[in-house]
Amino acid sequence: MSLLLDTHLYLCLAFGLYLFACVFYLRAWRRQSDSALRAAQWLVGFGFAIHTISLALRCWKAGYLPVTNLFSTLFFFSWALAATYLYYEIRYRLHASGLFVMFLNLLLLAGTLMSRDPLRPLIPALDTPLFTWHVAFSFLGYAQFAMAFSLAVLYLAQRRLGSERLPTPTDLRKLNEESIFLGFVFFSLCMLIGSLWAYRAWGYYFSWNIKGIWSFVVWLFYAGMCHAKFVKRWQGSGYAILSIAGFGIVLFTYLGIGLLLSSNHPLG
Amino acid sequence: MFNSLWSWLCSLKVAIVLASLATSTLIAGSLIMPGHMDLFGSMDQMPLHQWWSSVGRQAPHLTRWIWATGLLLALLGLNTLCCFIDWLQRIRSRWRKTGEYLLHIGFVLVLCGYFWGSSSGYREKMRLAVGETAGVVGRSGVFLRLDDFNTLDDANGRPIDMLNSLTLLVGDQAVRQKAVHTNHPLTYGGLAILPLSFGSDLAGFRFFTGEDGEIELTERSVLPLPNGGSLRVLQVAPMVIRDRSGAVRPSFGTRPANPALELEILYENASVWRGWYVLQESPPFPLIQAGIRLWPTGPIYRNYSLLAVHYDPGAPLAAAGGVMMLTGVLIAVCSYYGKRRLGDRPEIT
Repeated sequence: MSLLLDTHLYLCLAFGLYLFACVFYLRAWRRQSDSALRAAQWLVGFGFAIHTISLALRCWKAGYLPVTNLFSTLFFFSWALAATYLYYEIRYRLHASGLFVMFLNLLLLAGTLMSRDPLRPLIPALDTPLFTWHVAFSFLGYAQFAMAFSLAVLYLAQRRLGSERLPTPTDLRKLNEESIFLGFVFFSLCMLIGSLWAYRAWGYYFSWNIKGIWSFVVWLFYAGMCHAKFVKRWQGSGYAILSIAGFGIVLFTYLGIGLLLSSNHPLG
Repeated sequence: MFNSLWSWLCSLKVAIVLASLATSTLIAGSLIMPGHMDLFGSMDQMPLHQWWSSVGRQAPHLTRWIWATGLLLALLGLNTLCCFIDWLQRIRSRWRKTGEYLLHIGFVLVLCGYFWGSSSGYREKMRLAVGETAGVVGRSGVFLRLDDFNTLDDANGRPIDMLNSLTLLVGDQAVRQKAVHTNHPLTYGGLAILPLSFGSDLAGFRFFTGEDGEIELTERSVLPLPNGGSLRVLQVAPMVIRDRSGAVRPSFGTRPANPALELEILYENASVWRGWYVLQESPPFPLIQAGIRLWPTGPIYRNYSLLAVHYDPGAPLAAAGGVMMLTGVLIAVCSYYGKRRLGDRPEIT
């Protein structure tokens, strides 16, 4: 029974399934095999189901969505990225494009496998649904921006390679625009809920801590990108490069500030 | 002339340039911050105008980026407002963009609210003991009363939250009553009152009197004297010092290191003696003469709560902007796929 409730075991299982999915994607890419592609898609689906069980178990054990430290946010980020990828795969049939996204997902998940995070009771400042929604929307936004980054890299690669195993550059451009838009929507919700929470917890809705400033930078950057897609000069490669640069800003906001600088934001 | 100026003000390219410049300025500025926390560390403790006049102006070369960002965001807000007005004029043909433009006007309102609050708001602290009422700083006729105070402790007995029962009064009329704790502030007309810290301070002393047993003397206590007069406690000081002339005066410190009570003896409402009773010394002669003996037995402490009082007149406007942004985002995402199916894409500049 205790083995069935071991969230780490499910996490290892999900990691294994994602890893095999990457192997099959690679095989499908190199040998142009449809069966390998289907196998990879099913493996991602199973991996995501196990990943979801692991997340649900952690929620059930903790009594809240565990997103309070680097380990648990990497875990949730990885889950959100897998969910985002599945959405695009089911809706648009990305085919071998999944290799790059799933590789990125493996990197995120590998970070969580290194340590076991004990679930602790929430401190009063974080014990509010506003905190849960703020972080959840933040990582759903980050996952879309990661997806946009992957699609942008694939767009630039496809323009050089012209591979039949990948969607056309036009489709990749549209998907990139969609993921930027959805990411901006999620991140706007994150910022609005975060501002409300900050006002209730600290009495002001914008904090001049480095994380607060960089979160506003992320929002402003992607707001600009939502407009830049209408400017002819920025369409195509320019937009793809902006997507890559934008994900760099996201990574710095998420990991760089916590690891390199110090901030009085509740999540570093 | 006017048309070309209006087109320029509504220009998408201007919006992108301003957003890019504001982004770059913020990035550059935020990288200056970690090395100068003595300067930037207090930014959240006060509104921006107050921070600038008291701290920021001391190092203009390090804080100029804040002005630059403010200016760029103000220009971006103006551009966004012009775009919204332009959209309103063409709403019949562009109603499908309602979500996106609600987001625009919401952003403008949030910016206006922030600028307003930053220029005319304040952030103060208030220390209230249980049962005490005091005027709210900067708001004449508005008072705050701490009805009760408790801490919420964890399993190890360590306090993790502060529970304040507060009443906000306008004149003598109670207008808000709330249990204020983390994430649950008391709000009223742009005011937000939150728990910050707590502690206990010396309120008085217990004395053994002989005939009456033990009595408690705190500030403003009145004790009837055997010969018809009364003894009034004017002040309780946890720490006093005696200067070269022998006079006693209160000193700094909250721990009762050398406590004393300032007392007054009154007969028929006329003061006949006023002086200090330093508890580590023998009682002053006028007290003995009045026939009262006081032997101190222990201190009396009372809890106090330290509250943050923030006044942000722009907060309601920013909240209205936030609601508009939220509505806009939801409409935009719900209509996104429909618009894409219809091929409804704005003009490509």
